[in-house]
Amino acid sequence: MKTAFKLDAHPRRPRPLLSEPPADYFDRLPTRVMSRLPGAAAAAPGWRWLAWLTPALRTGLASVAVLGGFAASFYLSGSPGAGAPVAATARLDAVPRTELVGYLLTSGARVETSDLAVLTAADPGFAQGFLHASADELTDALDAQPTEDQTYL
Amino acid sequence: MEDHEILLKFQDPASRNLAFNQLVRKYQRKVYWHVRKMVVDHDDADDLTQDVFIKVWKHLENFRQDAQLFTWIYRIATNECLNFLGSKRRKFLLPLTDVGAELAAKMEADPALAGDEIELNLQKAILQLPDKQRLVFNLRYYDEMPYEQMAEVTGTSVGALKASYHHALKKVEDYVTRASE
Repeated sequence: MKTAFKLDAHPRRPRPLLSEPPADYFDRLPTRVMSRLPGAAAAAPGWRWLAWLTPALRTGLASVAVLGGFAASFYLSGSPGAGAPVAATARLDAVPRTELVGYLLTSGARVETSDLAVLTAADPGFAQGFLHASADELTDALDAQPTEDQTYL
Repeated sequence: MEDHEILLKFQDPASRNLAFNQLVRKYQRKVYWHVRKMVVDHDDADDLTQDVFIKVWKHLENFRQDAQLFTWIYRIATNECLNFLGSKRRKFLLPLTDVGAELAAKMEADPALAGDEIELNLQKAILQLPDKQRLVFNLRYYDEMPYEQMAEVTGTSVGALKASYHHALKKVEDYVTRASE
């Protein structure tokens, strides 16, 4: 018959006989713990206040920041583009028509009499003030335009 | 670094991280093995040890120094272990004995215990104890912690702890005796 087991008679160990953790476990553990701290090591000092906000509030704040960024970029990129044509048109309206036509005829902008003849056909009174050509001359210029069929043959 | 020095440096935001790093280095082994004895598995012990130190970080600012720093950390570690085992039992609807059997199976698979039948039976006997009684047994038998300090860790009276340890000891000895027959 075996004797009853007595713990006092058993060799005392500081802990149960369990396998040791990996060799470098305790060297790495402090770093792993520090990296998991809520915003302690990674956050810059100026952003530490974020750690005190609730997760829901932080998400809301991030959404507002993203939407605000979109709105700002849209406003900044859109306003000069939309405003410029209006301003340019306004400035162009201030130039007398005779000056405009004179510029187009002399600047080598490849505007020819036939181009002006088209305008005259659309608005007969338009050319009377500055275009020194009779109605017959204008008609001849229009007749000299190639037809669409000829263009695409 | 002494505890009071760690706590002093922790109060200063400029040296807080350094102080906490020192704290982890100082107590990591004790916390890990305290947890490991309760959950057996290394991976579980690793997760829980990290969780313990995260909780220490969160609450250290409010630590009133009524108790020793180490006792306070032990209390956090103890609660983490009990919560872990309790949630495991609830999650899988396991009765007490099944969790003990699961831990015993992990213990049997541990190569460190291979060939040592009495030690293995002793460990299996300890794992048969209810969680809180096992905790009391570990603190008293392995850590040789005074009952007064155990009372601070567990929030239980010294008298109740003495009775609990006495019952645990009897159960363990009976189990190993039966297993050796």
